[in-house]
Amino acid sequence: MIEQNRFWRIVVYGSLLIAAVYYLLPLYVMFTTSLKGMEEIRNGNLLSLPLDISLAAWQKAWSSACTGVDCSGLQPYFWNSVLMVVPAVAISTALGAINGYVLSKWQFRGSEIVFGMILFGVFIPFQVLLLPMAQTLGLFGMASSIPGLVFVHVVCGLASTTLFFRNYYVGIPDELIKAARLDGAGFWRIFLRIILPMSTPILTVTVIWQFTQIWNDFLFGVVFSGLDSRPITVGLNNLANTTTSVKEYNVDMAAALIAALPTIIVYVLAGKYFVRGLTAGAVKG
Amino acid sequence: MGALSIRNITKTFGETQILKGINIDIDAGQFLILVGPSGCGKSTLMNIIAGLEGPSSGEVHIGDRLVNHVAPKDRDIAMVFQSYALYPTMNVRQNIAFGLETRKVPKAEQDETIARVAKMLQIDHLLKRKPGELSGGQRQRVAMGRALARNPKLFLFDEPLSNLDAKLRVEMRAEIKQLHQRLKTTVVYVTHDQIEAMTLGDRIAVMKDGVIQQFGSPQEIYDSPANQFVAGFIGSPSMNFIPVHVAEREGEIGVVLQGDGDARFWPLPDKLQLRERLGQALTLGLRPEQFDLVSAADGLSCKVCITEPTGPDTMLFSQINGKDIIARVHPRHAPQAGESCHLQPDLRKAVLFDPATEARVA
Repeated sequence: MIEQNRFWRIVVYGSLLIAAVYYLLPLYVMFTTSLKGMEEIRNGNLLSLPLDISLAAWQKAWSSACTGVDCSGLQPYFWNSVLMVVPAVAISTALGAINGYVLSKWQFRGSEIVFGMILFGVFIPFQVLLLPMAQTLGLFGMASSIPGLVFVHVVCGLASTTLFFRNYYVGIPDELIKAARLDGAGFWRIFLRIILPMSTPILTVTVIWQFTQIWNDFLFGVVFSGLDSRPITVGLNNLANTTTSVKEYNVDMAAALIAALPTIIVYVLAGKYFVRGLTAGAVKG
Repeated sequence: MGALSIRNITKTFGETQILKGINIDIDAGQFLILVGPSGCGKSTLMNIIAGLEGPSSGEVHIGDRLVNHVAPKDRDIAMVFQSYALYPTMNVRQNIAFGLETRKVPKAEQDETIARVAKMLQIDHLLKRKPGELSGGQRQRVAMGRALARNPKLFLFDEPLSNLDAKLRVEMRAEIKQLHQRLKTTVVYVTHDQIEAMTLGDRIAVMKDGVIQQFGSPQEIYDSPANQFVAGFIGSPSMNFIPVHVAEREGEIGVVLQGDGDARFWPLPDKLQLRERLGQALTLGLRPEQFDLVSAADGLSCKVCITEPTGPDTMLFSQINGKDIIARVHPRHAPQAGESCHLQPDLRKAVLFDPATEARVA
């Protein structure tokens, strides 16, 4: 009996290990390749460790690789993305929290229908929005600009952030709100002093979610940005598609890693809250 | 002038009417209990008094002020909730201070109030703790402290003891009573527990299906229930309901009762005036303590199915007129299960109900 158990245990852990290796392999290849010189890449094995480690490819990807005619690396794109992501995440999270607070704790006639309609927004494919969104941005004079991109990401992120916060707040007992009302607190005071301090797990989830979505977005970035407001995903695409003489795999890999780094960092720093917050919301909601 | 006056309150949610015309008046300093089974509308009525919900029609007066359109915070009330509703991210001091801050009470006065309340409820040593670090009883005290800090005209308690274990519940019940005797503030207290209702209340409103079945002092409600529902709801174990026919023997009006032996006639007191109901089927209501263990000659022979010793008394489960009954007897003389005994019903306090309408007839 115990022997049989051990056999299955080995099978389970073995398959998990194979799956993990399978998924980690590309990261390994990207990382090692980014540290190799072109000579080594051409002659060596894809999986071999770099013989002599060089950061030249990273340097080039960051500041001097060509993305089309312009040869200043990913740096300007990176800062564009930062300028876009920070306000977009902050605004969409804040609005989602307020929406969720209203839809769970200050229900009005028809609020369930409003919530249903917002929920519908989660399922709308973004491609459908491209044309009307372009028109809207033009109307607001925000086309081809970073504020325009922020606006698009806020609008498109609201459905998810509202859903997250609403489901989390449903689990907070209504009696807390009643007690605070009897204590003389109004809508905003209850939100800021009582609800928001209780929201750390769901705030973390939403920030990670929105950060990842917006940082990694390519579609809106390529469609709605101008020459000087392109985000890093577009920069990466341009860099990889610009061929000068030879394909510089090490630079491409370094560039891809630079583009992925912020989301990885956010995930590592706040990852444990992510899973905790997701399950907390799910079980209670 | 009454402290709280509720006039013709109704509340409707869609098709269902939760409250069907509630009228209650209590004087300043009285302890009012709203008691009833779940779904009877007592919590809704409480929320309407607090101003957390509006009535569909009717008026609420607190003191001599009509408060229908006054916000909860301006009604001069404080409330203790079933879940305590302590703010989880604040410590005990901040929990008590929150309402004072919102009302812009000066800092020095806040500290004074918190110190006074903490001392009164013996929670001084807990002021720096978060609610999550407190036991159930301590949370209960903090919740009361938060309400007391306000010094309100009216206290509302919404099933405050339901989440405590049995022993703590008895202790806190006594403390609430003591607190009320000391402060003499008017209290409205919602509960589904009839023992809490009996022990705490000056006035009890027994509710069912959105209607007040009876409003009176605990003893009135116990001795003279308005209908079969109130009679069965108040008192533990419940009142026994025995099907009887009104009969006449040798000029006396009474009922025939039968245990496991011969049927026997028991006269009812003349004051009940049942002569015109001769032959009618009624329900006789007798409380468990209205039975005495007696010798064979004076009693009704009954077979004991189960006994439940509680210490001071022993409950005998038996049958009269085919209906299960419970008799409360002294443990020294209590028979064993399976044995027969002789019970003498004391009909001086008997009540009678119409079996169809459950209304009290005598």
